Amino acid sequence: MSSSSNLKEDVFNLELRVYFIQYLVLVVFIALGIRFYVLQVARHDDYQARAENNRIREIPIPAPRGRILDRNEKVLVDGDSAFNVVVIPEDITDKEDTLNALAQNLDVDRAEVLAELNNPLRAKSLPVLVKQNASPADLQWVGSHELEHPEISIEEQPQRIYKYGKLAAHLLGYIGQVNPKQLEIPKFKDAGYKAGDIIGQGGIEAVYDQVLRGKDGMRRVIVDSRGVPKAELERIDPIRGQDVITTIDLDLQSLAENLFTSKNETGALVALNPQDGEILAMVSVPSFDPNVFARNVVTENRKEVRAIVNDPAHPLFNKAIQSIYPTGSTWKIMMATAALEEGVITPKNSKIVCGHGLQLGNRFLNDSGGNHGMPDIHAAIVHSCDGYFYRLGLKMGVDMIHDWVSRFGMGQKTGVDLPSEQRGIIPSREWKKRVNPRDPAWKDFDTAIASIGQGSVAVPPLQLLRAEAGIITGGKFYKPHVFKEARATQLAPVKYFDNEPTELKLSPTTVAIIDYALWGVVNEGGTAGGVGFPRELNIGGKTGTAQVIAREKVRTKEHKDHSWFISFAPTHTQEKPEIGVVCITENGGWGASASGPKVKLVEAAYFSKKLGRPILPELLALNTPPKVEVSRAATGAKPVPDTDRKRRPLVQ
Amino acid sequence: MVDINQKKLKDVDWLLLIAPIALTVFGCIGIASSAPDSGYVKKQIISLGIGLAIAIAIMFTDYRKIVFDIAPFFYGAVLVLLVVVLVAGTEINGNRAWLRLAGFSLQPSEFAKAATILMLARHLANVRQSFLSLRDMIIMGAIVMPPVILVLLEHDTGTTLTFGAIIGTFYFLGGMRKIFLAVGAVAIVVGLIAVYPHLKGYQKERINVIIHPEQADPKGFGYQTIQSVIAVGSGGVLGKGLGQGTQGKLGFLPFAWTDFIAAVIAEETGLAGVLLMMCLYLLLIWRLIAVAKASRERAGSLLVMGFVGLITFHILCNLGMVVAILPIMGIPLPLMSYGGTAVMAMFMGVGLALSVRMRRFVN
Repeated sequence: MSSSSNLKEDVFNLELRVYFIQYLVLVVFIALGIRFYVLQVARHDDYQARAENNRIREIPIPAPRGRILDRNEKVLVDGDSAFNVVVIPEDITDKEDTLNALAQNLDVDRAEVLAELNNPLRAKSLPVLVKQNASPADLQWVGSHELEHPEISIEEQPQRIYKYGKLAAHLLGYIGQVNPKQLEIPKFKDAGYKAGDIIGQGGIEAVYDQVLRGKDGMRRVIVDSRGVPKAELERIDPIRGQDVITTIDLDLQSLAENLFTSKNETGALVALNPQDGEILAMVSVPSFDPNVFARNVVTENRKEVRAIVNDPAHPLFNKAIQSIYPTGSTWKIMMATAALEEGVITPKNSKIVCGHGLQLGNRFLNDSGGNHGMPDIHAAIVHSCDGYFYRLGLKMGVDMIHDWVSRFGMGQKTGVDLPSEQRGIIPSREWKKRVNPRDPAWKDFDTAIASIGQGSVAVPPLQLLRAEAGIITGGKFYKPHVFKEARATQLAPVKYFDNEPTELKLSPTTVAIIDYALWGVVNEGGTAGGVGFPRELNIGGKTGTAQVIAREKVRTKEHKDHSWFISFAPTHTQEKPEIGVVCITENGGWGASASGPKVKLVEAAYFSKKLGRPILPELLALNTPPKVEVSRAATGAKPVPDTDRKRRPLVQ
Repeated sequence: MVDINQKKLKDVDWLLLIAPIALTVFGCIGIASSAPDSGYVKKQIISLGIGLAIAIAIMFTDYRKIVFDIAPFFYGAVLVLLVVVLVAGTEINGNRAWLRLAGFSLQPSEFAKAATILMLARHLANVRQSFLSLRDMIIMGAIVMPPVILVLLEHDTGTTLTFGAIIGTFYFLGGMRKIFLAVGAVAIVVGLIAVYPHLKGYQKERINVIIHPEQADPKGFGYQTIQSVIAVGSGGVLGKGLGQGTQGKLGFLPFAWTDFIAAVIAEETGLAGVLLMMCLYLLLIWRLIAVAKASRERAGSLLVMGFVGLITFHILCNLGMVVAILPIMGIPLPLMSYGGTAVMAMFMGVGLALSVRMRRFVN
């Protein structure tokens, strides 16, 4: 007798219901089995890939950027490692304890760290950065408290160090994360940049980014769910970027900047070699500290960065190539050259009356220098005779002026290897039509004031320097540049700057007349006679005054004229000019007054260094080597090697 | 009370004893692969030993004595423990469900399930009519309510649902009228819809990840489900090998040794291991049902079928969660998930079934 019959007798329904449950169990198991089959067989490949993706991480090893050096191979920008203190949230046992330890020993802002720890958007597995650029004392404290505070640790981060702070900041540029807009530009896309890359965002850093950046390495590692690497599968070492040797002379650069900042003046100065376009110094004041960008490379909206970007004085602006100014009388060099070449005046017959100015209809154009009688071209340049050039300009006509200054490269980019260069404005009928539709016709008045570098003339200082350097070298217009050489690495060969000049045929007589006139400005009691240039150097130059507003309205310093001085040395000798300097001191007043002395000192320093003896006694007082502004304490970086500190003084 | 002789030993259903042991050992493989240290496996093995002892002791005891004489005291003792746990319990992962005793954590709610099954079988055994009356349904509900309330106070949603499955099983076995079945089914559906808006955010998210897996936040509450499916799917047919599972070993599956033990097994042993596991469960359930069918009177059948309902519900919920067809409810896999009390409670059920079988002919 079976037990099931027992059940049937007992309660008819129970066995039926047990069977029902049995089948239900079977259905549940079959359903689950099918689902397991779908996941493990049908979709296996997909999940296999996802599991691998979970587990294997490719961690890039950023390549150290190449260094940037001056022409004497002194390091200006260095790559180094900085150390950050981080907290790993998952390892925190007692939040209060951790916060107290951080606040008391590492001088960390409690509230800031707490806010970051509680930030719901922050990925839980990521360490929280609590202190950038930890000092050696900080590192030591963290190291010795490993056991009490395993959650506090140190992370190494590559760091860009601009050793001299604000010095040459516009040339060197700065670095930053590539921004999404840049990634849409083909130039950046083709360069292989990807989101999150740190790239040069200004100056040499930007223009030569491809040279400096090197090739990132990579680690393939097995990580756990917290992203902590457990084992390394593969490693490709990064290749350091090429070191870039610039044409800059650190000593000249430093001196030139001090000349502005010590007097609290603003403006720009460029010194270059007219024979090859190498820029020895390029100053724009006010400047900024690129270290600020390097420190805040990821968090671009930090206060420090915003302060620079929003500064009303526009410190990021490189005035040497991005600001345009009327050239004032420095323009007369080009006028004279063009007139001589065209035969409007001749070496033998170049006298034109000054007349203390020029009456044109009902307007009188004044010659601020007084009445120069009837000067020849030499005297007209030496004494910067406006009356002479008003009349010369009218003889030439605007089209001839436009044609010639264009040949000198005016109104065009010089092609300097720095970003965001401006073209500027030069006199032309089209220009007036465009900007002045109510009075579109070009008039004699426009020609006259253009002849002394006012009105329709406004160019960046470097453009002026290149044009006149081209004239003084007899028609060789070199592209100004700051790149001299990139050192070879295993990735790339050595690179040099390839510079073929644009040549313009100029008669040697014309060049000699100009050369002599420039010398005269300085050495024959001309407009720069009072500056006290050392006679032995045969410096030549030309003053200029860029009018800001009409003279009668001048009330405050902001309305004072810009002071120009452009200079070449040596002049009026058998030797070729080897240095050209242009300087504009904003609101510095009359030509030679503010800019003349700056140019004098820069040139004196150049020759002191070259000849190995002091040129000017006053230079000794200024001979303070540039300070290394980024100290070890501030960055947590290794000390700067002594070789870099052993600086040759300007004057021995 | 305890009577041993040769004849009875022959009557032991060895398969019914071997299947749960095999499942527990299989579970230990997964625990060894994913738990932070080897202490977990040791504790699980110790629990298996204690569970076996309990099962054998119960086997040699007449289940009728347990159901009709001991059950009320057991039930009362469990309720007291549930109150104690509320007052002095230890909280693990948000649930205050554990009592710490001499280095072992005891989870009284696991015993509460067994006690409730005993009490329900005890009541239903005496109901001698084809259909369940409303009065009986209310009495059975009253048996379930105290542990349910106490477990709810521990914030243990999964265990609460389990009590629902237990009483559902008994209502069904007791012969609930079709009208009640229909009303009950409607009530469950309406209840779920009504409760949904009042669920906590993480509970909603756990449901959403099942319905719309592609919309789920992979770092949020859908994380466990997503990682579990990856673990299962990446296991393939034969698995990655014992101890080679990356999802479990590298911590992508949180608490893999408890609720997600099946995912670890699926990852390391593949579909082959999963099928072996499911066959062992089917074997266990089949033997239990065979015992229920063979039982010579209602109490034994009901008792064993109560455990069948409990085990099946746990398997469905747990594996359903692991393969992402059901939301995460915190229901462990019987015998395989790490948890000593659960293992012991399961072996208590096995012991009862063995006792029922042993006495199928005897009066």
